[in-house]
Amino acid sequence: MLKIIIPTIMLMPLTWLSKKNMIWINTTTYSLLISLISLSLLNQPNNNSLNFSLMFFSDPLSAPLLVLTTWLLPLMLMASQHHLSKEPLIRKKLYITMLAMLQTFLIMTFTATELISFYILFEATLVPTLIIITRWGNQTERLNAGLYFLFYTLAGSLPLLVALISIQNLTGSLNFLLIQYWNQALPDSWSNIFLWLACMMAFMVKMPLYGLHLWLPKAHVEAPIAGSMVLAAILLKLGGYGMLRITMMLNPQTNFMAYPFLMLSLWGMIMTSSICLRQTDLKSLIAYSSVSHMALVIVAVLIQTPWSYMGATALMIAHGLTSSMLFCLANSNYERTHSRTMILARGLQTLLPLMAAWWLLASLTNLALPPSINLIGELFVVMSSFSWSNITIILMGANITITALYSLYMLITTQRGKYTHHINSIKPSFTRENALMALHMTPLLLLSLNPKIILGFTY
Amino acid sequence: MNPLILTIILMTVFLGTMIVMASSHWLMIWIGFEMNLLAIIPILMKKYNPRAMEASTKYFLTQATASMLLMMAIIINLMHSGQWTITKVFNPTASIIMTLALAMKLGLTPFHFWVPEVTQGISLTSGLILLTWQKLAPMSILYQISPSINLNILLTMAVLSILVGGWGGLNQTQLRKIMAYSSIAHMGWMTAILVYNPTLTMLNMLIYIMMTLTMFMLFIHSSSTTTLSLSHTWNKAPLITTLILITLLSMGGLPPLSGFMPKWMIIQELTKNSSIILPTLMAIMALLNLYFYTRLTYSTSLTMFPSTNNMKMKWQFETKQITLLPPLIIASSLLLPLTPMLSILD
Repeated sequence: MLKIIIPTIMLMPLTWLSKKNMIWINTTTYSLLISLISLSLLNQPNNNSLNFSLMFFSDPLSAPLLVLTTWLLPLMLMASQHHLSKEPLIRKKLYITMLAMLQTFLIMTFTATELISFYILFEATLVPTLIIITRWGNQTERLNAGLYFLFYTLAGSLPLLVALISIQNLTGSLNFLLIQYWNQALPDSWSNIFLWLACMMAFMVKMPLYGLHLWLPKAHVEAPIAGSMVLAAILLKLGGYGMLRITMMLNPQTNFMAYPFLMLSLWGMIMTSSICLRQTDLKSLIAYSSVSHMALVIVAVLIQTPWSYMGATALMIAHGLTSSMLFCLANSNYERTHSRTMILARGLQTLLPLMAAWWLLASLTNLALPPSINLIGELFVVMSSFSWSNITIILMGANITITALYSLYMLITTQRGKYTHHINSIKPSFTRENALMALHMTPLLLLSLNPKIILGFTY
Repeated sequence: MNPLILTIILMTVFLGTMIVMASSHWLMIWIGFEMNLLAIIPILMKKYNPRAMEASTKYFLTQATASMLLMMAIIINLMHSGQWTITKVFNPTASIIMTLALAMKLGLTPFHFWVPEVTQGISLTSGLILLTWQKLAPMSILYQISPSINLNILLTMAVLSILVGGWGGLNQTQLRKIMAYSSIAHMGWMTAILVYNPTLTMLNMLIYIMMTLTMFMLFIHSSSTTTLSLSHTWNKAPLITTLILITLLSMGGLPPLSGFMPKWMIIQELTKNSSIILPTLMAIMALLNLYFYTRLTYSTSLTMFPSTNNMKMKWQFETKQITLLPPLIIASSLLLPLTPMLSILD
């Protein structure tokens, strides 16, 4: 695992020592190389995890997330080139350093064995993200967004620290490799109910759960493009990953403790999808769509069946790629018109037809068109929730319909129709932007040929 | 001030604290406290204006009262045990009075009212000495009598201090008052763990002193005493803004910086002793502290050019010398991986 971590740490001296005309080339190339190294982790043994040391391991759940994380760094760097082009050299290097630091913490989080180490790194990802959002965001609301982001996550995760330490006192070790073998049922008592709540609330805030999602539209909208990409694609999945790991220790309380959160998620996914239909701000629409998809993941994780775990893992990877691509597309609009309002940039298909093709593909995968992995994820979740309770099919069906509605609404508003008269002077699409979209879409399409690698450890 | 006099006075302050920390006779401890108090008054009054006089008067009155309470506790202890050696305190009344006296010296709630006002009225360097060096002596006495302290009183004062330190700092823009409320909150954390594991008190004291030293050094460098003047540092020395960001986030207790280490260890120790709600409450209240530190970083380092400056910039006649800044910065931000080394404090 050090073969991935040490090169990522060394990306930071690389940026500081590069010449002015080479920083983007150097960092993008080397981060792409690192992502190629991480692909070897996808070769997982069927009945165990790959244990590299006492501190790092990777199993079929964390390997796809790790590959997604390392794949996303070159994409983030490519996406940030335009809005940083006017900044002085030192600020560019600071930005890239923040991204590399965030990357290091994320890689270590996904591969940590000891749960307290996972917690420290989970919290450590907050600091570079906060700096990226508040320093390089564009509107004054970014300050409020940073505060909401920081404090929602911290208020949820401080009880998690206390809970992890008390579990360590009870069981003697929090090393994940050990826990999966001598897992016992939690006795039924009031304090164990609070233990369950303390463990889960951090991840619920991070996912986010419908009632605690207030930080997400703010943070996603106000962040610069790399910040939005990493937030949507990876940081939300940290919550899902953490929940998948911790629920293993929390049985049998999950059987009855999960009900309120299941209700909130089932209702919340409909609510947030419906709000998407009324959004005027493009990034805000994509942010609420993220909440809706993640609500599906929460439902899947709390039901705790093998099929739902498969669906959750697949959905996390698929949504990561799709959401990041949508944010890149929205950013390409923003860089041209400097506005996020959807109706100000209509009819782009006439002016930028290739970009319209990418918009179409991204919207189609967002609404879970077969045979993309988005569909596989959603289908597995819908099926397993139907088997858990027949009535959920109504809500799930409604959600899929509304998702299709707002994805098509977004597509039609930005691409179709007559273009607005003020945008016929925009620059044509850069090769960099087309490459960015292609690099998002290609893994998404290729994975539909072999979805086994992203189906997680219950395959 | 005449350098010879300044040396003598600083030596007396130093000697006073050393006498307190090294004595085994209760009377010598009291003498040490008084020596310390008398010698620090001229340091507090370095700038001879009415505000500084008011601050030093308040400091003198509270500390003298505390010393007298300490003396009463010593006498009660003498009456019940017949000897002056510092071991445990032999009588619960004496223990309670001694705890209250030392809390008054440290600035724990409900005796915290003097800390913001005194810190605000004196210069930055004197404030530095007040908030770091002066805490050593009372804390060492608390460490030595820790087996016999009444748990309820100390924990109540600690938790209330964390609350007051967090809540009171929310409305402040003066940097010295912000540091004062931060000191109240950190003292609360330190005394909360005192009865369970005094080594962690020492760890927290060490890390707190390093972080406060760093903060004060950075403030002295930019000669800024208000949030508004701190927001000008990006004009004069942009690197200082980054250092302020890192140190403030470390004081707020964010991992992976070293300010997280004492909080984590304290939470671990409290949880091992079967109090679960208490560390959760303490951790949540530390978030209030983090809020006003983050707000400070917003105006200092995270909203730089091209935002405009709101205040006329001050003249800066000479670059102030900051002693030992690089090691302090490293110590206040990167010590977290060295957590197992806290065994050297035993």
